[in-house]
Amino acid sequence: MLGNLLPHLVNGISLGLLFALIALGFMLIVGVMETINLAHGSLFALGAYVALFVATPRLGWFPELQAAYLALPIGTRYAIALFVAPLIVGLFGLLLELCLRRTYGRDPLYGLLLTFGAALVIEELIRLTWGSTEKQLPLPALISGAFVFDGLIYSSYRVFASVFAMAAIVALWLFLEKTPYGSIIKAGAHDSEMVRALGINLPRLRAAVFALGVALAALAGVVMAPIWGIRPHVGVDAVVPAFLIIVLGGVGSLWGAVLAGLLVGMVVGLSGAYASEWSLMSMYLLFIAVVTFRSRGLFGKKSVLDA
Amino acid sequence: MEQTRKTRRQILKTSAAAVAGTTAFFGPWTHNRVWAQAATAKPLVIGLTMDNSGQYAASGGEERLGAMMAIKEFNDKGGVLGRRIEAVHMDTETTPATGSRVAERMITRNEAAFLIGAVHSGVANAISQVAQKYGCIFLNTNSSSPTESGKDCHRVKFVWDGNGTNFAQAIVKNAIRASGKDWVLLTNDYVWGHNTSKATRAVVEANGGKIVEELLVPQNTRDFSSYLLKLQQLKPAVVATAIGGDDIKALRQQVVQLKLNKSAAWINNQQDWPDVYGLGPEAIFGVFGTTWYYRLDLPGVKEFVASYQKQYPGMAIRVPGNVYHNGYMATRELLRCVEEAGSTNNIAVIKKLEGRRMSAHDRLQHHDAWIDPNTHQCQQTIYMASYNDTPAEKDDIFRILANVDPKEVQDRDSAGACKLESYEATPSYQV
Repeated sequence: MLGNLLPHLVNGISLGLLFALIALGFMLIVGVMETINLAHGSLFALGAYVALFVATPRLGWFPELQAAYLALPIGTRYAIALFVAPLIVGLFGLLLELCLRRTYGRDPLYGLLLTFGAALVIEELIRLTWGSTEKQLPLPALISGAFVFDGLIYSSYRVFASVFAMAAIVALWLFLEKTPYGSIIKAGAHDSEMVRALGINLPRLRAAVFALGVALAALAGVVMAPIWGIRPHVGVDAVVPAFLIIVLGGVGSLWGAVLAGLLVGMVVGLSGAYASEWSLMSMYLLFIAVVTFRSRGLFGKKSVLDA
Repeated sequence: MEQTRKTRRQILKTSAAAVAGTTAFFGPWTHNRVWAQAATAKPLVIGLTMDNSGQYAASGGEERLGAMMAIKEFNDKGGVLGRRIEAVHMDTETTPATGSRVAERMITRNEAAFLIGAVHSGVANAISQVAQKYGCIFLNTNSSSPTESGKDCHRVKFVWDGNGTNFAQAIVKNAIRASGKDWVLLTNDYVWGHNTSKATRAVVEANGGKIVEELLVPQNTRDFSSYLLKLQQLKPAVVATAIGGDDIKALRQQVVQLKLNKSAAWINNQQDWPDVYGLGPEAIFGVFGTTWYYRLDLPGVKEFVASYQKQYPGMAIRVPGNVYHNGYMATRELLRCVEEAGSTNNIAVIKKLEGRRMSAHDRLQHHDAWIDPNTHQCQQTIYMASYNDTPAEKDDIFRILANVDPKEVQDRDSAGACKLESYEATPSYQV
């Protein structure tokens, strides 16, 4: 029995790490800026498409440059895509933040509507640029394929993606906890007026945080592309779990998001194996169960309304 | 400066004069319509109820192109019954509730004469209930749950795709013989998945096979890792999937990553062209059913493909597939029936469609087709296919293994379950 269960537990943890990666950017923007970025999913998809372009560019006017670039090993091009795609989408995030500025300090509905509109525009732009058919991100041989362990076949890429997600989580934690920039971001989340009074440029801080959150969304898109596939509306599949995970973990809490991601991965993975029809519903049931008893989520800050 | 000020009486007089003048010029609106019709016949509006978002967005787009092509051909000849055809499209979002709302709106506000289009069986069922309420003819172009021409059949609904039972009968017997008796079913958790797997189960068990387990896959599942681990633990000889749209795309990619396509035989009841196009050669594994392929060696097929490419240049899907074919054939046949009936009256057109025979040559298939008058399902050739590892060109990704006469794979159960409303109980509808 345990022998049968163990692969599903391991799979649940791997799935959980990927869910946590998807939620990281969303968590950062909500936590620091108190803005629910409904374009998170579309930016996730944009990350995957930009990575596809970087890995297999079509430079109609520069055929020699294209040929020279495509002559590079796929491993190199994949590594460049993994780094460059989040960077490009992060810069795009800076533009989006410029539009978002007008909504600061106003009814949160304005921010919601703006990011919702942005999501539709980005998805349509993707459709116009890359078309609506399925695309595939090529992978280097080292991380594609499968291996056998204890009689079962596992995907090499999945192991890579899980380890990468773990590294991204640790890197973000180190950045927030061990660098002066992280301290400013956390201070901004805690008391933005005080941060401004201390002479820190708040608009620039917000822009940087938004760009970082968007870059993380794009990074998740690149990592998930070989698993979920690339299509214009793939972001819809990311935004719902991301939203659920940050509420479950407690808004603005990094480790809350990680723990919530792991829990969601675990229940989805186990229910997929033993009660398959409940595999998607299980994450919502978990959410209801937690929020019923702890409305601020697992690691959420105590509200003044809490006794 | 002199200030002019209007009295209340002056304002009332001016308003009354304006209303009287407008009424005299334009007249009562019903008369206005008569004048317009006298000059040119009122256009015939066809409501296209096709998905543009959700799980079946890609297929919804393809069947829309098929319907639009048939409409264009008729309009090029002067329309139908002297009326130009106008298509109105609204996104049904792969959601039954949206399907109902769209159908209601198209009938009551857009005055659609006919409704065409559906891929998701739940959406098709929802649209057909509204259509039956008004008596508006609805063509279910691409949704293939056996219930569509079984217990959910309607007098106004005509089903143009092969259904789960047709495909199961065509494929399962051979697969048991070739691959083994222990089967696992992977089933999309909605009406089409359930009924298709039910049909597969019946044929497997009738032929001495055994269903080891059925795993239900919720719609919009993107991660199949737990299912694929479970499959490895179950070790079936055959995995039969009834999974469609974006779900099957994700499943195929993840199966290939684990190389599970080589450790069991895979059967996909029906494989829609937009769901595999662009996936890459490795991801098209196993044996699957379809109703049409763009490289069938039959007269007229090349011209059909060429007209698609001429009408829709630069499309992401460069050649038409089964979904486009169904959309086109259904619309063309409906418009032919309207012409033959000499009217858009629903009962007159329904009588033309019921039992209608269509030659293999005309439909670009291997066997003659007909519309079963008892279930309203189009009985057509079923093809068994697999990946083509020696393609003649880039898009030539299917190898057609066999074509099956519709008489051999008829769905007898649907005929028993279908109770069509009488003509009298169907409201008269004519726009």
